[in-house]
Amino acid sequence: MLEKRDLILAIAVIVLGATGTYLMLPHRHGSAKPRRVHLIGAVLAGLALLLFATFWRAPASAISSLFFYAFSLAAVAGGLLTITSRNPIHSALWFASVVLSTSGLFLLAGAQFLAAGTVIVYAGAIIVTFLFVIMLAQMEGRAPYDRAARAPGRATFSCFLLFWALFYALLIVRVAPHPKGVAIDTDNERLVRSGEIASSYGLKADHPARLISELARRDTLRMDDISKRPKPHVAGLGEALYTEHLISVELAGTLLFVALIGALAIATPKLPIRPGDPRPQPLTKL
Amino acid sequence: MSQFLAHNAWLVPFFPLLGSFIVVVAAKWLREQSHLPIVAGIALSFLVSFSLWMVAGPDVTSPAIEWLTISGFNVPIQFRLDGLTTMMLAMVTFVATLIAVFASGYMAGDPGYPRFFALIGLFVFSMTGLVLSNNYVLTYLFWEGVGVCSYMLVGFWHSKPSAAAAAKKAFLVNRIGDFGFAIAIFWLWSASINHDVSYGNVLSRENLDQLGPAAIMGISFLLFWGATAKSAQVPLYVWLPDAMEGPTPVSALIHAATMVTAGVYLIARSTPLLVRAHEVQALVAVIGCLTALLSATIALTQTDLKRVMAYSTVSQLGFMFMGLGAGVNNVAQLAVFAAMFHLFTHAFFKALLFLASGSVMHAMGNVIDMRRFSGLRHRLPITHLTFAAGGLALAGFPLTAGFWSKDEILLALKHAAHQAEPGWGGIYVAVYWIAVLTAFMTAFYTGRAYFLTFWGPEKLPSPQDPEALAEAVDEVDHGSSHTEHDHGHDAGHGHDGHHVGQESPPIMTYPLMILAVCALIVGLIFGPTGLFEHHLHLTLGYEHLGHLEAHGADWLVMLMGSLAAILGLGLSYLFYAHRSPIPAQLAERLRPLYLASYNKFWIDEIYEKAVVGTTLLLAEISAIFDMVIDAIVRGIAYLPRWLGGAGLAPFQNGLVQFYAGVTAMGVAFLLIIVLFWL
Amino acid sequence: MTPFPFELLMNYLLVGAALMALGMLGFLSRRNLIVMFLSAEMMLQGTALTLVGFGRYHGNWTGQIFTIVILTVAACEASVALALILILFKRRSSLDVTLWNELRESTQAPFEEPTVEEEAESVAPALGPESYPHLTRAGLEPAHPTSPWIERRK
Repeated sequence: MLEKRDLILAIAVIVLGATGTYLMLPHRHGSAKPRRVHLIGAVLAGLALLLFATFWRAPASAISSLFFYAFSLAAVAGGLLTITSRNPIHSALWFASVVLSTSGLFLLAGAQFLAAGTVIVYAGAIIVTFLFVIMLAQMEGRAPYDRAARAPGRATFSCFLLFWALFYALLIVRVAPHPKGVAIDTDNERLVRSGEIASSYGLKADHPARLISELARRDTLRMDDISKRPKPHVAGLGEALYTEHLISVELAGTLLFVALIGALAIATPKLPIRPGDPRPQPLTKL
Repeated sequence: MSQFLAHNAWLVPFFPLLGSFIVVVAAKWLREQSHLPIVAGIALSFLVSFSLWMVAGPDVTSPAIEWLTISGFNVPIQFRLDGLTTMMLAMVTFVATLIAVFASGYMAGDPGYPRFFALIGLFVFSMTGLVLSNNYVLTYLFWEGVGVCSYMLVGFWHSKPSAAAAAKKAFLVNRIGDFGFAIAIFWLWSASINHDVSYGNVLSRENLDQLGPAAIMGISFLLFWGATAKSAQVPLYVWLPDAMEGPTPVSALIHAATMVTAGVYLIARSTPLLVRAHEVQALVAVIGCLTALLSATIALTQTDLKRVMAYSTVSQLGFMFMGLGAGVNNVAQLAVFAAMFHLFTHAFFKALLFLASGSVMHAMGNVIDMRRFSGLRHRLPITHLTFAAGGLALAGFPLTAGFWSKDEILLALKHAAHQAEPGWGGIYVAVYWIAVLTAFMTAFYTGRAYFLTFWGPEKLPSPQDPEALAEAVDEVDHGSSHTEHDHGHDAGHGHDGHHVGQESPPIMTYPLMILAVCALIVGLIFGPTGLFEHHLHLTLGYEHLGHLEAHGADWLVMLMGSLAAILGLGLSYLFYAHRSPIPAQLAERLRPLYLASYNKFWIDEIYEKAVVGTTLLLAEISAIFDMVIDAIVRGIAYLPRWLGGAGLAPFQNGLVQFYAGVTAMGVAFLLIIVLFWL
Repeated sequence: MTPFPFELLMNYLLVGAALMALGMLGFLSRRNLIVMFLSAEMMLQGTALTLVGFGRYHGNWTGQIFTIVILTVAACEASVALALILILFKRRSSLDVTLWNELRESTQAPFEEPTVEEEAESVAPALGPESYPHLTRAGLEPAHPTSPWIERRK
């Protein structure tokens, strides 16, 4: 179970983080100066973030550790600032930092293709958003709705409650010890183990859970080949994508196409109807 | 032949029902001819009944038709054609035919003419069904049927508040009796062999032998309870005098000749059961005696002709119960024959008296108060003679119908006094002497009604009568005339082209004449000749009743009966034929007694206070309790309304973020529940 | 391949959970439609991180393939959402999400955000060696149709 120290730390993370975020959210706190309140909130949230970082375990190599901490901190801090910035432009910029940090984390997890893809896709999205903000947001000053969050206390409470539940659920997870007392370290062993679990539960050959566990062990979906050497990255991913998940790819393409049509249909400018305009004739006249 | 007739016994109730159906369907076209299907139906029914008289036997039954089958409890539709049933059938249909003919004249011009005849047909259907049924449940069904018909016919002029109230009273009082009858049936069902409530099974010797003493006494008592309401006995007789609010033919048919005898019929039918409970038999005799005496006393002073007849009916029903109650040990057979014979003759002369009263009322422009007319014997010769015949029969004048039957009852009582269980004889002695006294009173009030109406100086009702004026004032005072003197405006039917003080049309007088002949000679034909007795022998279970070895005419009893009748009639002649001042002086001298009798011993008022008042009090208490329940129910109903309205509506505020927030909170709570409690 | 023990997976899951919770907070509390959209994207980022971590832990590609699907959906969402934002802004001349509350109980009064007393902060004029002329408005701004589209269709 959870150790007492960990529990106290976790509660501290939640409480500090919630308080800090609440203070940082854009709305007025009585007659206190917004800037000062914001500063206090930032300090508290930073503290919470540092405490949160103590729960992370450093990877084996120092370089990896450095990058991991940098990216993780940047991602979480960027997320915090995205949602607390009063200016939507700042929000968009901070979100860009989140995306970049996430891409870095993807790289660390051995997902180079995804890292590149995320950056490319979101770079486009961010730029478009940026344009929108410049186009739409009032340039005379920050709008009232950007300076007043909607029910910040309630939102903070429910979100941090959710976060606490997730956090706690993750903290109490322990890896089951290997029956033979040997630490499971390699991916292959883990996969073999999941197959053993499926068969040890006596699942039938056509049971869905059995089928899924079998699927996870297929050669085409494994990151290393038969001789335990890692597959070339993009080639491996492509192989998995176009053999096991071909229909998903097709569906994704269809979805993009439909979304394109939808966006066009929604956003095409229509002539505004103003008072005094001749009324459109009913079709029955034809 | 007999097989064929027995198989077609269903025609007896069927013809009146068919007539009734025709009237209901074709009322629009029949209008003033609505009596035709009913008269024809009842007459056909009488013909069938008459032929059934010939085939009667203790065990003659029609084939059973399956009706109610509830896992072992089987109630078929089956008719029994024994002596008792065929006698009742013939009597009911004969009297009903004549009354229907009379009514076609009497009710002419009434806006509810088709409705009246449809109900009469329905009533005859129910009544014949009641006497034909071969089991208690079917009897109960028709028992309720005649009750409903009675309710609708008493309240025939329902726009009149007093009629509506009387109908309601009749119905409610009858419910009390039906309750007892129903419980008796349940008890019979649980105690009888095979849970079979048919007469053949219940009244068989094996079944009666296996019933415990408690069951015999309890069931007998409950059956008698049911009979007291239907046959208007103390303490449930109060509805019958009020039931005279209905049209006079209805009073004649339902509330004198047929329906009110259903209770007597039920007890007579169950006699094999009742003779085994001599305590209940004594109770029956005492109740009958009490009723006869009480109502005869009341009848002495009433001024309303129909009401005198109503109390007389109650009194004669009391006589019948006295006769039934006399059925102890060896007297059982004699007693039930006597009671049924009185029922038989009573139907004729009482129907006659009612119809004659109706004829008087018809001629007097719906006035029925005897103080407002007199000396009608020259103006209404036929009515006068027929009324006299009926009166003689009622009084028990020697050789008329009533004489023979009353004599038999007195004889049965006398024998019962000797034969009763040790210690119970005294009761029957007392009952016997009270019965003689009542017979004397009967003769007296009959004579009084007769002489007041038809003798003395000729006088026709006029609006200037003090009674009429008092009545008018009364009505203004009370608004709704709930009192007993409102027969003056009884009939809602018009008498267009009819002049006050003229004899009724032939269609009304012929039935009177037929009935008058019957009233005079029916006793002579059926009584001393043993015809009636012989026929009734063919009744289920009667051959096992105890009977006397030999009983000839008892001259002492006959003399006593005749003496009572002649004395009563003579006294009334002395008092009323030439308007002597003696009655007024007597009334002055015995004022408390006179007032008690005139006000019917305040029984209605006492019931009003004791029963109705208590019930209302209970209802008030229940109403308070009901309010509490209502409040709880309303509160429960208010909860979802509050939840849907004030409680949950604010959540539907249209804000996307609010909805998303609730969702997030729900996910968080679910996750926490899964983590900590599952 | 370098080993990827459970502790490393835990790191990814923690960071993913944090991003997810923060994104939800943004979605719930911010009233600007564009910021709400960014918050939703952030939630997707957190989920993607989790999936990639799991895939790496189990040594197969499925997590990454899921993430690719998520990316696709995110792109679709971005296109449709931005188109919708454009339309909504045209209707109300505002990015405030609380203005869109027609989907409520009919008996319920529309939500009123407590009014903020202070006016919009003015942006300080850019100081520098060059100053651009401030153009005055040419004439009155034509009235925007601010009534709901249902009424305007009549």
